[in-house]
Amino acid sequence: MTLQCPSCGREQEPQLICQQCGMPLPVELDCFAALGLPRKLTIDLPALEERYHDLGKRIHPDRFASSPPRVRSASLSGAALLTRSYRTLRDPVSRGLYWLELNGEKLAENNKQVPAELAETVFEVQEQLAELREAGAGDGALRREVEKRRVELGLAMDELREGLARNFIRWDRSDGSDRAELVAELKSILSKIAYMRTLIRDVDRELDSPRTA
Amino acid sequence: MAYSDKVLDHYNNPRNVGSFSKEDPDVGTGVVGAPECGDVMKLQLKINDNGVIQDARFKTFGCGSAIASSSYVTELVKGKHIDEAMAIKNTVIVKELNLPPVKIHCSVLAEDAIKAAIADWKTRKGATADDTKIEPSKAAGSGE
Repeated sequence: MTLQCPSCGREQEPQLICQQCGMPLPVELDCFAALGLPRKLTIDLPALEERYHDLGKRIHPDRFASSPPRVRSASLSGAALLTRSYRTLRDPVSRGLYWLELNGEKLAENNKQVPAELAETVFEVQEQLAELREAGAGDGALRREVEKRRVELGLAMDELREGLARNFIRWDRSDGSDRAELVAELKSILSKIAYMRTLIRDVDRELDSPRTA
Repeated sequence: MAYSDKVLDHYNNPRNVGSFSKEDPDVGTGVVGAPECGDVMKLQLKINDNGVIQDARFKTFGCGSAIASSSYVTELVKGKHIDEAMAIKNTVIVKELNLPPVKIHCSVLAEDAIKAAIADWKTRKGATADDTKIEPSKAAGSGE
């Protein structure tokens, strides 16, 4: 599937900017294609950033201010797509969620069970937070306990993120035969990260609250 | 985004917050989560031997709509037979609380919580009744 540049007529792979004349191309692309990256989950972040800035300069609407409307509009939509794609791929969690979407999978489908151990942690910690809310600034010992808990939760989150990175590597090496297993693992890790993220947000909110500080 | 008055009412004055003892043989516990937003909901139902829901408690950690949905559900299921409760659809919750489209998953979560709690109660009742026969954990052969 190729695309012809409306400005110079060159046939090419669909991409943001014409490789011959440098004009923005009117095209719908997925996030990987927008950044000119192969569909791989493992991404070198400094290289991603460099590519984003380079493409961003070349497609910037200011450069096409005096061009025909067709070109101006392609530059505007291309620049927006580029930024959206960069933001989606930059963060491993949103990249993983986007990957599910690309694969026609839904995170919440058949996935309402909170793993028992994690559920227990959530209820335990939330219980402590409720106690802390009631005790206010008076209870230094309880606050220190929650602070210690916060460190543990941070470490658990690091582990989950490492697990996510390992899942990405497995996808990139996969020949497709273990797709179902990889989808299930990815959904499981992303869900755990979501629950952990909410919990950590609630802990931080309580620790930062003037009532308990 | 503005919450509806009914959501705010349930959020500010949640009904039936709390827990029953998990050891109580009449209590079914459902813990469900919404992986899109990280909300976690626990719903406990106290069910008599005729399958009628006597009482309900919830704890929900999440947004206002998730809290309101579970609070409303605790009121809704009381006095209902479990078969009736199983038939409750999330659309009832959406309608009552006037939830916007982005918050519909909160009502789905509450619906799932009812089903999970009843399933838990059934399992536990079944397990007690079968105590004299086989212990499911040993018979099932989990492979460990």
